[in-house]
Amino acid sequence: MYRYDEFDAALVRERVAQFRGQVTRRLDGTLLEDEFKPLRLQNGVYLQLHAYMLRVAIPYGQLDPAKIRRLADIAERYDRGYGHFTTRQNIQFNWVSLKDIPDILDTLADVEMHAIQTSGNCIRNVTSDHFAGATADEIMDPRPWCELIRQWSTFHPEFAFLPRKFKIAVTAADHDRAAIRVHDIGLHMRRRGNEIGFEVHVGGGQGRTPIIATQIANFIPESQILDYLEAVMRVYNRFGRRDNKYKARIKILVSEAGPDAFRQLVDAEFAAQGPTETLALPQAEIDRVEAYFRAPYLPARTSASAALALARTADPGLDQWARTNLHPHKQAGYTSLTISLKPVGGLAGDATSAQMRAIADLAEQFGQDDIRVTHTQNIVLPHIAEDDLPALYSRLVEVGLATANEGLITDMIVCPGLDYCNLANARSIPVGQDIQNAFADPAEQEDIGRLHINISGCINACGHHHVGHIGILGVDRKGEEFYQISLGGRADEKAAIGEIAGRALPHEEVPGAIRRLVATYRALRTHPEESFIETLDRIGHDPFKEAIYAAD
Amino acid sequence: MPLIKDGRESDNIWSNLDDERQDIAGSHVTVSLARFLRHKAEHDLPNVTLGVRLAPEDDPALLRPFLDDLILIEVSFPKYTDGRGYSQAQLLRRRYGYRGELRAVGHVLRDQILYMNRSGFDAFETSRADLSQVLAALTEHSAYYQPAADRAPSIFARRHPRSD
Amino acid sequence: MTSVRPKLKPETPKAITGWDTATGQTVWLMADGRWSLQADDLGVFTGEVAEARLAAALAQEGQVTDPYFMEVTASGAIAGRETLRENIRASGPTVPYGETDS
Repeated sequence: MYRYDEFDAALVRERVAQFRGQVTRRLDGTLLEDEFKPLRLQNGVYLQLHAYMLRVAIPYGQLDPAKIRRLADIAERYDRGYGHFTTRQNIQFNWVSLKDIPDILDTLADVEMHAIQTSGNCIRNVTSDHFAGATADEIMDPRPWCELIRQWSTFHPEFAFLPRKFKIAVTAADHDRAAIRVHDIGLHMRRRGNEIGFEVHVGGGQGRTPIIATQIANFIPESQILDYLEAVMRVYNRFGRRDNKYKARIKILVSEAGPDAFRQLVDAEFAAQGPTETLALPQAEIDRVEAYFRAPYLPARTSASAALALARTADPGLDQWARTNLHPHKQAGYTSLTISLKPVGGLAGDATSAQMRAIADLAEQFGQDDIRVTHTQNIVLPHIAEDDLPALYSRLVEVGLATANEGLITDMIVCPGLDYCNLANARSIPVGQDIQNAFADPAEQEDIGRLHINISGCINACGHHHVGHIGILGVDRKGEEFYQISLGGRADEKAAIGEIAGRALPHEEVPGAIRRLVATYRALRTHPEESFIETLDRIGHDPFKEAIYAAD
Repeated sequence: MPLIKDGRESDNIWSNLDDERQDIAGSHVTVSLARFLRHKAEHDLPNVTLGVRLAPEDDPALLRPFLDDLILIEVSFPKYTDGRGYSQAQLLRRRYGYRGELRAVGHVLRDQILYMNRSGFDAFETSRADLSQVLAALTEHSAYYQPAADRAPSIFARRHPRSD
Repeated sequence: MTSVRPKLKPETPKAITGWDTATGQTVWLMADGRWSLQADDLGVFTGEVAEARLAAALAQEGQVTDPYFMEVTASGAIAGRETLRENIRASGPTVPYGETDS
């Protein structure tokens, strides 16, 4: 994991002092709210429905025990004992005081954390594959490049007041778990002979106008990628629309200019960079950062853990959890495990201080100090010996973190919705809980198999409803909450935007509609291994739409 | 409006001439890019020292043939949230090699001045920040990751001195 | 940007609400001109008096952030199109959360 050197540490401390000054000027009235707002947003501070909210950056979802313990302390001391992990692999605190935020930022700086650029019209937290560095299906670990992009984009003087927010995601795996095709820039690392480079996708996004990204470059060598990103950013900063915030994302520039014309603009800007303009990232710097991400030493183990097999036969709960929450590790005898933050009837992505501390302990005892946040609002311990799973599982049971549902129907992405958010039109959490309760039986969930339900409380789509296999969007109809269902979205390498099935339903009709939808899938699948999205792709949406609107 | 240049309060000898107006007050005048280019073709603004005031949508490349003779380019920020002026400044300084005064005008606030300075501005016309605030803003960070028009060595470079 | 706030007619009874600048707590303007943390305390205003009170609130930038009109009944109950949102603002999230949840 990356560690700050004196430059990184100084920059973060200086940022805290700068923000402390801004808060002081806001509170004495010399800085007006309209002028303070972009400044606080660039430091992750929102004013939400009930209070200020602080979004802390977790670059590419990477945590360690010291960091998550500090988050637990902040939740306890400055908030109400919990935090909310987000779809950008960050964490949000919902009840902080503005006057406390400079102190919170100082305690974060102690553990090499910050809230820089977690909001505002700038380059946001870089996200990545939560199994990076552990999974068998990647060509290399993408995190060194996430870190280099994080540093390059931090306080970039030219790109602090972009037309709109800007999100970059990086993956190096065949199976895209970072949703790169629905990002402003999605980077897929590729290898050509001995050379590493990036396939560049631009102009994806969700929100009001969901669009799948266009690939504009096949292979930009790693030594040039930051210069290439500068070229893309400059084209966007100069030519992106600023007359309408709903048309200001780069996806609109790409689609209005046309992908070819946009590519030509970027190529021309990239080619025009003179020797005094390029970043000329030293190879020694790439090597320095890569050294922080060397794979941990994991003693050789046999590929099938006898201890685990034995424990599984004795404990059906462990057996089920081991079937659903493990991901293949590149080294035999190890696994990457998902700690679900989606208990049935709970709050998606929330963790209490006690749970955060328990996760820290487990990562220390069993997991090489490595903890990741997923964009699906769960936690991953990427390097776990299979032999340790029985002990680890029993600890998870004790702290209420042993939900066996990774990737299943109750493992939903759910935005905070109208219960917290100033932008929301409808609540998301209660409708998600009601759907979970309708599918509470673990055996049934497992039989249904992989099915992603994503719920957003407004068109801004923080709950990624456009790319849920089943998407649910809350809308306001004259003060009443309604929910629009869409079908067929996906966020992976086959990224697609879901299609709206029909009229929106009142809250109480949603769980029944989802049950009919799922019953239709189970009746129509060719065999239990054919997933919901595969069945939908094979036979089309019509039978599913009928099921949604079938009278009870 | 107060002018802060090269870290000092400075007298402003320049005035801005609206495109509609013909009467010129003073010897140093900035005009829009369009009017400047017209003057370069028709020489209709004799006997004054001309500078240019760029609007956010202007292409600074059009000034390229004239940069050796220009001593002032103003970049206007109608709203401080419109960041196009930062790219104009970086292009003028780093790609086109402009060495005259580059002045931020319009909605220029204390908390944007550091980014402006790094992008190549050396003068700020602002009623919203006094000298001490501007100087404080310029020293809020001791180092920066990326190279920019201020030619400060980047952290990426400083980590690897060329002696190796 | 906050949600779109409905335009209210001058004669519609309204309250004024915002956020305490230092803490972010939700506050409501009382009839006597002080701010309360309880929506139950809100004052009901109409017409030019309401406009004057909002203008005065907007001038207290350092104390209260983004004050705005919310619709109420003549007796001060939350009303109108934003009833659900304003009820949640007044009473907190509709779902149990935090330490109570574990």
